[in-house]
Amino acid sequence: MIIDVIIALGKIAVVLLVGLGLGAYLTWVERKVAGHIQARMGPSVVGPFGLFQPIADGVKLLTKESIIPRGADVPVYYLALILALVPSLLIFSVIPFGPSFTIFGKEIKPIISDVNIGLLIVFAMGSIAVYGTIFAGWASNSKYAFIGSLRKAAVIVSYEVVLGFAVLGVILIAGSLSTVEIVNSQIEKGIWYIVYQPVAFILYLFCMLAESGRVPFDIQEAEAELVTGYNVEYGGMRFGLFPLAEWYLNVVGLSAIAVVLFFGGWSGPNIFGPLSPYIWFLVKTFALVFFTLWLHWTLPRFQAKDITDIAWKILLPIALLNVVVTAFVVYLFS
Amino acid sequence: MEGYGAFLIFFLIALTIAFVMAVLNDILGEKRRDPMEDYPYECGVPLYDKEARGNFKQGYYMFGLLLILFDIEVAFLFPWAVVFKDIGLYGLIEAVLFIFILFLGFIYALRKRALKWQS
Repeated sequence: MIIDVIIALGKIAVVLLVGLGLGAYLTWVERKVAGHIQARMGPSVVGPFGLFQPIADGVKLLTKESIIPRGADVPVYYLALILALVPSLLIFSVIPFGPSFTIFGKEIKPIISDVNIGLLIVFAMGSIAVYGTIFAGWASNSKYAFIGSLRKAAVIVSYEVVLGFAVLGVILIAGSLSTVEIVNSQIEKGIWYIVYQPVAFILYLFCMLAESGRVPFDIQEAEAELVTGYNVEYGGMRFGLFPLAEWYLNVVGLSAIAVVLFFGGWSGPNIFGPLSPYIWFLVKTFALVFFTLWLHWTLPRFQAKDITDIAWKILLPIALLNVVVTAFVVYLFS
Repeated sequence: MEGYGAFLIFFLIALTIAFVMAVLNDILGEKRRDPMEDYPYECGVPLYDKEARGNFKQGYYMFGLLLILFDIEVAFLFPWAVVFKDIGLYGLIEAVLFIFILFLGFIYALRKRALKWQS
């Protein structure tokens, strides 16, 4: 019993270190990528290649004065932060980083909570994250934050439906909601589900961009008109939390889920020795994250009504059709 | 400990981290107060309304309604998808009927111009 708790705590510590460390360092990666896409250098002053920039930013954010706008709803103002960060961290609890291994006669699975409703937890967390945004906009007592949060709620609400239907195809084929089971079934069949479900993957990609507030669906942040929208009245580390949760943790988490669903999770040729599965998983995840960053710094953004129109009028019918067709095919071939 | 127990521990730890990060600025930050520093952002002009929370476009409510229609549909279809291989043809027909009926709801919303929320 006590050893199980220690193992669980160890896994949580590793995931948190990796997750939050990567979250911080993705700011550096993003700025470097953005810099080179726009033909400039990106951060280069603090440390070699600007590598200490995230630390400098963190210290700066931590020592800022705590400013809460007048007329703000203070408890909700704080609650919004917690509701934004906690769900995006909890997504990592159902991500399997590799196959289970045995150490000192004890089987260890590199996943925090191997439950048979893994994907359902991901969606639940995605739904709760909306409240963080809405509360932030509502509590701030600023028109900009308010409009930004409403827009973001509309966008997330629209794309969540499509996201649910998009992954239904994969669940139909795998016959399980557990992330470990889905990866195992891909390894057994020796095929990545993107081959069976290319349409679902493209739908998922759209939803991933919308849910994490990335270009071309970042209308809620629209720097030029809304000055980052719902988090405009947050300062210091609180301001840092929203992009950390939304732009970095959510993107990494949803990319990892995409890898689990469509790219065979940790499967791959064993060329890195015993660490091979983990390296494959991270390589695949960060390929997707890089793709997201690439889109972010290349594309213009849609109007709010175009974003919701795309979700309801184009993506939703396609997703419904995809589910029905997949169900027929699975029925005929099983 | 592999399942929900670990999830609960992770949830409590995540809650602590979020809480600490939310209050760190109150502890570490500058304490001196300026008279206008908590003025809500409005491009440097005086506020139009003291209270920013007001009416908003009714289109947003429509999205809430549509979400209830379709998100619950997805939630119903998740268990169906898991056991689909066991229930066979009966499950297939039932689910197709279910999706068809909800698609009619979607067409209805479309014809009622529920999605024309910004014009």
